[in-house]
Amino acid sequence: MKRKGTTALLNTPYAVWSTIFIVVPLFIVMYYAFTDNNGAFTLENIKNLGNYTDIFTISILYSLIATLITIIIAYPFAYAMTKKSVSSQKMQMMLIMLPMWMNLLIRTYSWLNILERNGLINNFLGLFGLEPLKMIGTPGAVILGMVYNYLPYMILPIYTVLSKIDPTLLEAAEDLGCSSFQKMIRLIIPMSMPGVVSGIAMVFVPSVSTFYISQKLGDGKVMLIGDVIERQIQMNHYDVGASISLVLMVMILISMAIMNRFSDADGGVVV
Amino acid sequence: MKKKSSPLYNVILALVYIFMYAPLLVMVFFSFNESKSTSVFTGFSFKWYVELFSNSDIMEALRNTLVLAVLSSLIATVIGTIAAYGIYRTRNNFVSSSFMTVTNIPMMNPDIVTGVSLMLLFVFVGRLIGANTSLNFFTLLIAHITFNIPYVILNVLPKLRQTDVRLYEAALDLGCTPRQAFFNVMMPAINPGIVSGLLMSFTLSLDDFVISYYTSSGFQTLPIKIFSMTKRIVKPDMYALSSIIFVTILLLLITINILQMKGEAKPAKK
Amino acid sequence: MDKNIIDLKNITVAFDGETVLDDLSLSIRDGEFVTLLGSSGCGKTTTLRIIAGFIEPDAGSVFFDGLLVNGIPPYKRPVNTIFQKYALFPNLNVYDNIAFGLRVSKTPEKEIRERVSEMLALVGLKGFEKKNIAYLSGGQQQRVAIARAVINRPKVLLLDEPLAALDAKLRKDMQNELKKIQRELGITFIFVTHDQEEALSMSDTVVVMNEGKIQQVGTPIDIYNEPQNAFVADFIGESNIVDGVMLEDFKVKLGGRIFECLDRGFDKNEPVDVVIRPEDVDIVPLENGMIAGTITSVTFRGVHFEFIIDVCGFKWMIQTTDYHEVGENVGLYIEPDAIHIMKKSKYSGMFGDYSSFSDEMDNISNPDFEEGQSADKEVDPS
Repeated sequence: MKRKGTTALLNTPYAVWSTIFIVVPLFIVMYYAFTDNNGAFTLENIKNLGNYTDIFTISILYSLIATLITIIIAYPFAYAMTKKSVSSQKMQMMLIMLPMWMNLLIRTYSWLNILERNGLINNFLGLFGLEPLKMIGTPGAVILGMVYNYLPYMILPIYTVLSKIDPTLLEAAEDLGCSSFQKMIRLIIPMSMPGVVSGIAMVFVPSVSTFYISQKLGDGKVMLIGDVIERQIQMNHYDVGASISLVLMVMILISMAIMNRFSDADGGVVV
Repeated sequence: MKKKSSPLYNVILALVYIFMYAPLLVMVFFSFNESKSTSVFTGFSFKWYVELFSNSDIMEALRNTLVLAVLSSLIATVIGTIAAYGIYRTRNNFVSSSFMTVTNIPMMNPDIVTGVSLMLLFVFVGRLIGANTSLNFFTLLIAHITFNIPYVILNVLPKLRQTDVRLYEAALDLGCTPRQAFFNVMMPAINPGIVSGLLMSFTLSLDDFVISYYTSSGFQTLPIKIFSMTKRIVKPDMYALSSIIFVTILLLLITINILQMKGEAKPAKK
Repeated sequence: MDKNIIDLKNITVAFDGETVLDDLSLSIRDGEFVTLLGSSGCGKTTTLRIIAGFIEPDAGSVFFDGLLVNGIPPYKRPVNTIFQKYALFPNLNVYDNIAFGLRVSKTPEKEIRERVSEMLALVGLKGFEKKNIAYLSGGQQQRVAIARAVINRPKVLLLDEPLAALDAKLRKDMQNELKKIQRELGITFIFVTHDQEEALSMSDTVVVMNEGKIQQVGTPIDIYNEPQNAFVADFIGESNIVDGVMLEDFKVKLGGRIFECLDRGFDKNEPVDVVIRPEDVDIVPLENGMIAGTITSVTFRGVHFEFIIDVCGFKWMIQTTDYHEVGENVGLYIEPDAIHIMKKSKYSGMFGDYSSFSDEMDNISNPDFEEGQSADKEVDPS
């Protein structure tokens, strides 16, 4: 009785805060998505979303490619890390965190002077009299930007899961006659899936919603969902911005729900 | 267990580290360039650093960022810790799972959606009360607190759950009131979680660009300043700024690592 | 010594609709060493937590020294608890852990110092004041837990399976030590355990519990020699429990034969459960036996051999120091004072036949098999 009173008292501040600043804004997004400038109900904004189908497709496609590449790089890397001594692993954790702590903007434009028309790579090619390559403004550069920025977010959860695998399990597998390859396929990969799943979530979500990477490395020629939202909001087209945000949000919530089925409850977010 | 370290592992590690660090090191390198070029090195100089420190805009943005990060992380830690304790004590499954769902929203949502939704809220309320500008320092602060609280909760709640309930009961048994039991026994046990929640929100707040971009106007933080600087052609003073940030983070991480190692050498030394 | 320090009256507790304590009443005298004995899920820990105040009963009253204490929070009750796995505060050293209760009650530091050092002497941990809890062995942590509770001079000390985490040797030592401490302090100990040997060797009074009900309360000797039903007989030690019929006072019929016994007060021809402890039966040559059987297995147990003997399909366990071969036909001799008669209860027929005991492979292939001690509602037979 008394205990419940105290608990309710503890819950109140956050309940109020989260209602006003987390739940209500979502409804405001819906409000703007379903009303016109005068506040009257309309489905116009939703109908107009059809114009952005290409951009949605491209955003999802690029982000999926980027996510896949990060898995291909991060998995062997995380696995190799677990083979090192404990002190070396700690050092390496630090080395992985460092780029994560650098601002996204800095990480992105650090690639600019490498990929630019008269940047490092083209200067280097020029030494051999080769034609400069056009890299900035291509989908490849945008995907590279996503991979580079979000790679640590894939490495960390995979590494965390891999390093927690009980070595006696692996010994048991060897004891039962597993070859190294079988051990990988039958034990290590299945057991590390929760890490991969949370890595996917941590890479895909920011990739699909980015606008800075596409602005800088795509040079405005590659338009993603984030760019559209940014422009519409800049032009005070709140209704359009809101409706696209709404679709983005629903899309991500659905894919999260699907992914949660693959990972157990505790495997959610590692790090 | 013996660890056989195959050379292949070292190759993989080396390649990825080169990929991760090359662009950053190139940037540090060119921050010392004498000329304006960011791809042709013409000579060593500190002039971009000098220019950077004499740029009062950047210095003000730095100050703003720190003020915002300190305030938002402290407030978020207080609200988040209280909330985590409340959720921990809530026996009603529906209530606690609703709390967790709401807490997960800002973490799962893309930053741009969080930013836009908060901005629309502020604009909406601003129109209701007839204010001419609806975005200011306080809206920015609210936004930062909002996206920081979930990280505090997610750091504190597991610590609470790990803490043996019997510790709390033992304190009651030995004569503590529930309040004394919380401060004498639970707080020390969950302190590491509170501190890491605080540090995490502090860094998230320092680092945030997207949400700040939508929820502030006029009050420039460092990431927003960097954004506007990189809209034009990038001069090496940007590189100097980035190098300083790089080195600061490096030093910070090394300090944390050393502290952790010391902490492990003498566990729970008070 | 004769005054009741704790009275539980008609306590009922249910968690999520499942009854954990079912109309339980129990009185505990001041200065006693009482053990609540039962397998996990029997309600013994719940009983302890009700006394400590961590759980409020759904119905029933708790009295301390004759005063109703329902609703009084744990920190206002004159009891202290030694928790399973000790629950020592990891952020405090040995001294501060022990001083914790006194600090909370704002005792002057000088007195705290004296009493802590007194306690450290009592539990044999002098010189450990500044030690970090994490560096102590299990036994030392146990001692700190005892000191931390006892220093507050509780009227009743509650011990929740405090020895479960210790290895066998250390457990024996701590049993003696706890007993010694209890005698020195002269306060009431309420001790929870699932280990029947522990219960028998330490307690003044043993309370055997099962399914939220008290099965029997008595001295260790009573509980062993005069079990009230088949559950108690089986839970405490080994027992052969045979169906019998009480023909008249001092005469019981079992296995087709009439035996002399020391029990009386049953109805004429009343069906009863007959308990015969394995060590109370002698193996004799066939012609001298009261009943005949065939040895189906022999196990060497150190001080004695353990035989499983088939008597017309019912398997008896017999413990004796003489060796016999498997397959031998032997006679069994039972003294009148080895026979104990119990009224029929709901546990009749559930225990006391060792037919499953001898064929372990059968048990493994039989999903319904439950070992005697874990025959508990927690085990789901399906």
